[in-house]
Amino acid sequence: MKFKLIIIFFIIFISKNLYSDETSDWLKKEIDIILEAYKNENLSNENRFLLVEKTINDNFAGTGIAKFVAGEAWKKSDKNTKKIYIDNFKRHLALNIASMMQGYSDQTYELTKSKYDKKNQVTLIDMEIFSDTGSVIVTWRVKESKDRFFVIDLIVADISLVVTKRSEFNSMLKKVDNNLSKFNEILFEQNQISYNKIAN
Amino acid sequence: MSKKIVFIFFLFFGLISYNAIASEADQVNTDSEDFDTTTIEDEIYDPLEPINRAIFSFNNVADRIVLEPIAKGYKKLPSPLQSGINNFLSNLRTPLVVVNQLLQGQGENAVQSSGRFVINSTVGVFGLFDVAEKVGLEEKEEDYGQTLATWGVGDGFYIVLPLFGPSNLRDTSGMVLTMLTDPVNAYAVSEGEAWLVPTRTAVNAVDTRSKIIDEVNALRDNSVDYYAAVRSSYYQNRNAAINNVDDTELTPLPLISIEFE
Repeated sequence: MKFKLIIIFFIIFISKNLYSDETSDWLKKEIDIILEAYKNENLSNENRFLLVEKTINDNFAGTGIAKFVAGEAWKKSDKNTKKIYIDNFKRHLALNIASMMQGYSDQTYELTKSKYDKKNQVTLIDMEIFSDTGSVIVTWRVKESKDRFFVIDLIVADISLVVTKRSEFNSMLKKVDNNLSKFNEILFEQNQISYNKIAN
Repeated sequence: MSKKIVFIFFLFFGLISYNAIASEADQVNTDSEDFDTTTIEDEIYDPLEPINRAIFSFNNVADRIVLEPIAKGYKKLPSPLQSGINNFLSNLRTPLVVVNQLLQGQGENAVQSSGRFVINSTVGVFGLFDVAEKVGLEEKEEDYGQTLATWGVGDGFYIVLPLFGPSNLRDTSGMVLTMLTDPVNAYAVSEGEAWLVPTRTAVNAVDTRSKIIDEVNALRDNSVDYYAAVRSSYYQNRNAAINNVDDTELTPLPLISIEFE
């Protein structure tokens, strides 16, 4: 009996560690794709961003985050408006992350800590980015679904990207009476401005 | 089965499933309950928003034309010099950090911070070198705003201070207390060197700003409402500082569920 318990404990311990390793390895691979894109001088700014955008769209729970940050406005909108909003949001998310990661492209990093939050079924992975004068910790929140991982949030200096976006969007949505269609115009315009900055 | 073999096995299946369903990555559903998982933006009381926005715009212009260019120049200084300035300023703050740790009942932290101050002020040449960190005495920040929060004082309303930036009523009171009780500033004034006080504040601002150039630019360049983004960021950052817990545990977790359509 005692032996069986030890075996079960051992298996649970091993699989939990393997899970964290697997998530970290997956994340490292995807982060490297983004950082390598910035180091590749043969890529034009536009192509570099498109590559980064594809990586982000493939690995972030973009639609889920889009719905979350839209809050109440989501429920009131028709299917077509939601679709346009999701497209706009995904580009917006990519522009935000690409812009931030660009600053880290010439620095080294390490995935220092991986922790599984059992209650919320989310893996928290700390990424320490080193510079000459110190380091900064970025925490990735990763969720698994159907044997795939999705980033659901990014935290820099205790500040959650998703919570900040929700606050920001809510403030703007209030100004347009939670009309997602009108908000789409604002978001599209902002994306154009951001895209021109990053791609040119 | 060794750990390595199991890992390869998982990686193999991970890759297969990744390729098989990569095109479905964007098709994600959420539950209606997901929209109610955080109310942080509703908790921010901002009755002075029109005035705050005007001051925020002024601060933003001031940042663009004065602080950011200086911070960028500062960042070009040799790294050891930047670290030295940062360590020196941090060391000057330590006596008040100790006071606030004591006021919050953090005896152990207060002893550690006092140790840091003694070591860095002597072996660390007036705080220029962070020797204490190397012997395991980590830097911890506490201020009057955090102390008041620990005592149960609420945020009060949100306020944007000219040049000083985002704050709230409680943290502004804390800042005034800091100005009034800082022993280094008091000593400078008593010695007839009052000019050192604003100089220290300005160097502090440049040093802090130089560390977040990319983050601020990313936020500013990509926000539909930069004011609201900064307001939210301020509250998240302060809540983390007040609660002194692991950021990943504290930051509200958006419970985004993922289901394939």
